[in-house]
Amino acid sequence: MLLLREFQYIQVKMNRKQAAKIGLVLASPLLIYFLVFFVYPIFLLFRYAFTSSSGALSLSNFAAMTRDPLLYSSLVNTLYYFVGSVAVQFSVGFLAAIILNSYTGRLRNVFRMILYIPLTISPIVIALMWLLIFNPTYGPIDYILRRPVNWLGSPNLAMPTIIVANGWEYVPFVFLIIYAGLQSVPKQYYEAASIDGMNRLQTFRYITMPSIRPIMIIAFLLNSIGILQGFTLVYVLTNGGPGFSTYILSFYIYKVAFTYFNMHYAAALSLLFIFIVAVFVYAMLKLTSVEKYLGISRAGGNE
Amino acid sequence: MKKLNIVLLIILLIFSLFSLFPIYWTVITALKVNSEIFTTTPVFFPTKITFSNFYTPGQTFGAVSQTAFGSLPWLINSTVIALLSSLIGTFLIGAPAAYALTHYLKNVWFGRTVLLMMMIPEAALIIPFYVIIIRVNLINTWWGLTLVYLSFTAPLSTWLLMGFFGDLPRSVEEAASIDGLSAYRIFYRIALPMVMPGIIVSIILNFINAWNEFLYALVLTYTPFPSGAQTVPIFLTDFIVIEKSFAWGGLAAAGVIVIIPSIVIGIYAQKYLVRGWTMGAVKE
Repeated sequence: MLLLREFQYIQVKMNRKQAAKIGLVLASPLLIYFLVFFVYPIFLLFRYAFTSSSGALSLSNFAAMTRDPLLYSSLVNTLYYFVGSVAVQFSVGFLAAIILNSYTGRLRNVFRMILYIPLTISPIVIALMWLLIFNPTYGPIDYILRRPVNWLGSPNLAMPTIIVANGWEYVPFVFLIIYAGLQSVPKQYYEAASIDGMNRLQTFRYITMPSIRPIMIIAFLLNSIGILQGFTLVYVLTNGGPGFSTYILSFYIYKVAFTYFNMHYAAALSLLFIFIVAVFVYAMLKLTSVEKYLGISRAGGNE
Repeated sequence: MKKLNIVLLIILLIFSLFSLFPIYWTVITALKVNSEIFTTTPVFFPTKITFSNFYTPGQTFGAVSQTAFGSLPWLINSTVIALLSSLIGTFLIGAPAAYALTHYLKNVWFGRTVLLMMMIPEAALIIPFYVIIIRVNLINTWWGLTLVYLSFTAPLSTWLLMGFFGDLPRSVEEAASIDGLSAYRIFYRIALPMVMPGIIVSIILNFINAWNEFLYALVLTYTPFPSGAQTVPIFLTDFIVIEKSFAWGGLAAAGVIVIIPSIVIGIYAQKYLVRGWTMGAVKE
């Protein structure tokens, strides 16, 4: 059953101040951690970003951004990586969920397990696996294709290869959530649809899709978080190359900070990254009812 | 109907092949002898099985390492740090916060703050974390990395458990409070045991995430146990860089050792995962 969960509060006679006090005590470890490891770090980022290496207040880091071609290509690559990953992971994950949901054999749970497993595997091991598999000389893929392809060494193929390797890990995430959503659509809806004489396509369009819409949006939000975290595959598989063709923003920040040791500029880049993510999340919250679906806010407003 | 099912079965088998083949390939590479690894006609079914890639007496990690056994000092660090950050994130931070957010702090901004903590990419916080950990002199230590790992274990744990605490039948807690139990005791004695599945999924997911974490470990640690806190993913990276062209067997064996714990506990956690991720919006 798909439930839009509502928050429950103990209905005892307790005044608000008391409740808030108990809540704050219980949440205090999280709040303290939030202050020390999120608020303070962001303050540090601002401090670094708005000073030059001599320590003087300056906007030079932000001015430098406007004429940094590597930042520009990192942003383009990040967009490419993000859109490509979302497209691959959503289409394949969605398709796999629909297919498994329509399949009625005994092996259903076995398939679910098999399709889920890649999700548990460490990105570093995934990098290792694909290094073995995509190797132009000894790898099985090139043997099957009957010609050696320099997957990671070609500027045009490197990013798609990373997107595929990354997709291999996160398709199961989308699959698992959407499959659970499909399973939770009440059987009566389908019975009613067949009584009304709907065909398969109509049933999918008018019953299935609206029912799993909240789940799709939640899956999209959580999936985006995972994709934006991407770093390991680029670091290990291509190290940003060939050329700068797989520089994504997270990798660029790491490079500027820990290879070129330009902490001030890297801090400015970090703020830009946070800003982009914040705009994205804000848009998600405004354009969809994801908070309502998740139960963060109740329909009809909050106190 | 039957025909359709067979078509679906075939498609599912193809999906399964994609899902399992990279794992299969890594496992057989770990078990192969070198002559079957380095051949231009790849061997899909090895004829000779060897465990020498996992352990050969006298060979440890370092300039001459060819086996996975050398990863032990890194495995110790990974295990300790993943356990610490997962347990602290769940019991000390996530559980009480999730309970507070579902029962006492109604304001939507608390929930949004948790979401914000999950959304900020690691790469955007690595610089201040580096500065802070250096300043408190915890660089390359278990506690240093654990403190930083709490930045993803604590919010995820809060997020997951909010779904579980939000579903508690309120009658039980009412009864407890009428019996005179204080709010903290109700949380600790009544509510916490009732969300055990949530606690388990939180511990497991956090363990996997910490076990697999890469960027923070790369920057904040630099030597293995006992002198430092470097974790297994960094060991693997160095191994890949050093051994890229010749010790594939050892490399694959090390990979197998790293994925075994996460696959085993991942399978165990599977049935609670979706409910946790979606904060209870989907119940299975």
